[in-house]
Amino acid sequence: MTDHLIEEPGGSFAASGPAGRGIEAGGATPPASPAPDGGAARGRSVWPMLERDALVGLLAVVVIVMSLAKPDLYPTAANFRATMASQAVLAVCALAALVPLVAGQFDLSSGAVLGASAVGAASALGRGVPLPLALLGAVGIGATVGVTNGLLVTRLSINPLIVTLGTASVVRGLLDRYVGGKVLLEGIPTSLTRYGSALPENLWIGLPRVVFLMALTACAVWYLVEHTPFGRSLAAVGASPAAARLVGVRVERRTIAAFTLGGALAGVAGVLQLAYSGQGNPAVGPNFTLPALAAVFLGASAIRPGRTNVGGTIVAIYFLAATISGLNFLGLGRGVEPLFNGFALLTGVGLSSVLARRRR
Amino acid sequence: MSGLRVEHATKRFGAQLALDDVSMTVRPGAIHALLGGNGSGKSTLIKLLAGVHRADNGRLVVGSASFDLTRHTPGEAARTGLRFVHQSLGIFPGLSVAENLALGHGYRTTRAGRVDWPAQRASALASIDRFHVDATPNTPAGALRPADQALLAIARALGNDDAAASVLVLDEPTASLPRLEVEVLFASLRRHRDAGRTILLVTHRLDEVLELADHLTILRDGRVVEERATAGLDHDHLVECIAGAPVRTAPRSARTGREEAVVEIENAAVGPLRQVDLTVRRGEVVGIAGLLGSGRTELLEAMAGIRRWDRGSVVLRGEPYAPREPRDAIAAGVVYVPEDRPGTGVFTGETLRQNLHAGAVRHYWRRGRLDGRAERRDARELVHRFGVRAAHEELAIEALSGGNQQKVVIARWLRHDPRLVLLDEPTQGIDVRARHDIQRLVRERAEHGSGVVYVSSDFEELAETCDRVVVIVDGAVGQNEVRAPRITAAVLVSRCYSNRSVPEEASR
Repeated sequence: MTDHLIEEPGGSFAASGPAGRGIEAGGATPPASPAPDGGAARGRSVWPMLERDALVGLLAVVVIVMSLAKPDLYPTAANFRATMASQAVLAVCALAALVPLVAGQFDLSSGAVLGASAVGAASALGRGVPLPLALLGAVGIGATVGVTNGLLVTRLSINPLIVTLGTASVVRGLLDRYVGGKVLLEGIPTSLTRYGSALPENLWIGLPRVVFLMALTACAVWYLVEHTPFGRSLAAVGASPAAARLVGVRVERRTIAAFTLGGALAGVAGVLQLAYSGQGNPAVGPNFTLPALAAVFLGASAIRPGRTNVGGTIVAIYFLAATISGLNFLGLGRGVEPLFNGFALLTGVGLSSVLARRRR
Repeated sequence: MSGLRVEHATKRFGAQLALDDVSMTVRPGAIHALLGGNGSGKSTLIKLLAGVHRADNGRLVVGSASFDLTRHTPGEAARTGLRFVHQSLGIFPGLSVAENLALGHGYRTTRAGRVDWPAQRASALASIDRFHVDATPNTPAGALRPADQALLAIARALGNDDAAASVLVLDEPTASLPRLEVEVLFASLRRHRDAGRTILLVTHRLDEVLELADHLTILRDGRVVEERATAGLDHDHLVECIAGAPVRTAPRSARTGREEAVVEIENAAVGPLRQVDLTVRRGEVVGIAGLLGSGRTELLEAMAGIRRWDRGSVVLRGEPYAPREPRDAIAAGVVYVPEDRPGTGVFTGETLRQNLHAGAVRHYWRRGRLDGRAERRDARELVHRFGVRAAHEELAIEALSGGNQQKVVIARWLRHDPRLVLLDEPTQGIDVRARHDIQRLVRERAEHGSGVVYVSSDFEELAETCDRVVVIVDGAVGQNEVRAPRITAAVLVSRCYSNRSVPEEASR
């Protein structure tokens, strides 16, 4: 407990422990030695920096090793484009799962909502509904499921895992009744599919446009969660609902808002999925839920260790994608995706609980 | 009879020397108190004895047997005859007394392997009798008085031990006990001692030590600073030994009561309180004394908007005041520091800065983003102003000691210059020095014009802090009041346990 983390001149590191652990004044410590500036609180020791950037480093290692192993296939513009674009939808779906998690709530319905929103929009377009209206409706479907989740969790105090498992199944059931197993291809305009297309004339700076839409969404969520009072109150509810109530946060409203926002983001992911694949396929949605959660949890061990955060989540998405695609090129593809996502989920949850405990 | 001796115990956590060559002797058949502030090493020492931590050096001598503390285990501690009762008693409220005892002693079974309930009850009855627990074997443990729950925990720990064969170690057994219950427990401990049992008692409450213990050891910064007989010691001297330097008590002036009223509660009722008539004025610290379950917490919660009054009229600065939720109370300038610090006071996992600004985040919302620079600057300023000991403001709140965490919670509210401050057990589980700091902060707040309601089970503390103390008797708040110069722990205790309401005037 004497690792005071006081910066020594010359940039040597006085800390003997990670920055999360701190000093506890046992009586002998001088009163608060204020950090000179904000940045000084971080980066005082090698360890937390390593911890923060470990996943980014691993991503780099994976890319380098795979590139050396398969120089003709892996480090190509085509593979880079395909990986970036194919993961954009998953990344937005992960953001959809992230917002409720910041408020301490699990949402297992993101994938199902994504599917419903994609198919709903495709079906509306097939009937001649104008594009903006169809897309708005798709996001609306997501928000509606989100509000329902939030109301069930807060008003009836049902465990969120059960609630979202239930609504996910209901959404899938309704979808099945409504469109059967049909894949909807009719009436989807090129003005939408252009965003997902990998044709050279549709690219922006060499990348499919969905990648930029994903980046835009990520920035918006990052801003909302980390830089607004709303985001801070979500985090307060996530840390302790009882304490949050006592400081004047409307806990129920925040919880409902978190689920609604998560649902709407899953709706946005559905729209991107429609743009990317050019079809409304009721079978794809549910497959997104687990990898999305895996990325959020694995991401919580990076950038801001121990906390659910947007930057870490995006890094985790691409770390998993780069690894899985590399292993596929090496001919080790069988079962590698569920294996990897499963391990990522377990590692992520395990790491974040270890990190949280170590801060005590 | 077995006494207990610790020889040269040393324990290091990283660079921190938690125990530095500690030796102490607990005489056989005596009650021995172990004292020290938070971080003094007393918890570490108990954990060494229990075998939870291994020492770096040191021996333990019980009776004639000697053990190596560097290789001590919980199993060895049990075989040595050390019996532990911890602060959280480990009683299962939903299970019966007999079942609670069986969890410690093992179930008696028939030859078929079924639990032999008649035998179980008979043995429970014997234990209840031996330890003077006021219960039957079938009583749910949750229905017992707090003191009886403590006695039950002791009964479970000691089992059928012979008085001379084992040493009872009590870690803060009275932390959550009201005064009357403490008496019940003490009577029982004295009986155990008189029967030849050796008892080691860890506590924060000094008056208890003077009342009960035969000998005491005081730890400070991991060293023994005093070991002696209790006879002839006084409270002030103990405080000095524990704190290491004379601690100035908060200055206190008896208020005239002519200041403007902050809150006036008339003819109100909530929970167990059937009649509440209470006025708190500007600049005044009003203590609330009462037994556990007397409705102290309910009173504060009703004022803080956490629960509704059953009836009554409440006026805050001349306006009707009926908060529906805590945010209404906060908006009206009423702030509340809850009793359960880890559960509802601090945000575990968030930083010191975030904990300070919880509820005030909007103040930093400027031109579409949160002003991190201003947040950190204000956090540093508050840390300094409220005497929080922490290296910097980005530490996780869990890295601070309990006393410093509580200062953070108090700073969170007092920075806003509230009209009315409600404090529920603000110094529970906090060392002497931090307690005095908090009492001083509260007094200063009152000097600046807030009204303060101060609930505490520690009557010494109420006597030190309050201008007047309202004693809850029989569900009534308001008729039974003691004013500043004459508040003493003894007066409050006698008021609490007299079932008659004595008007203040009559007692003068």
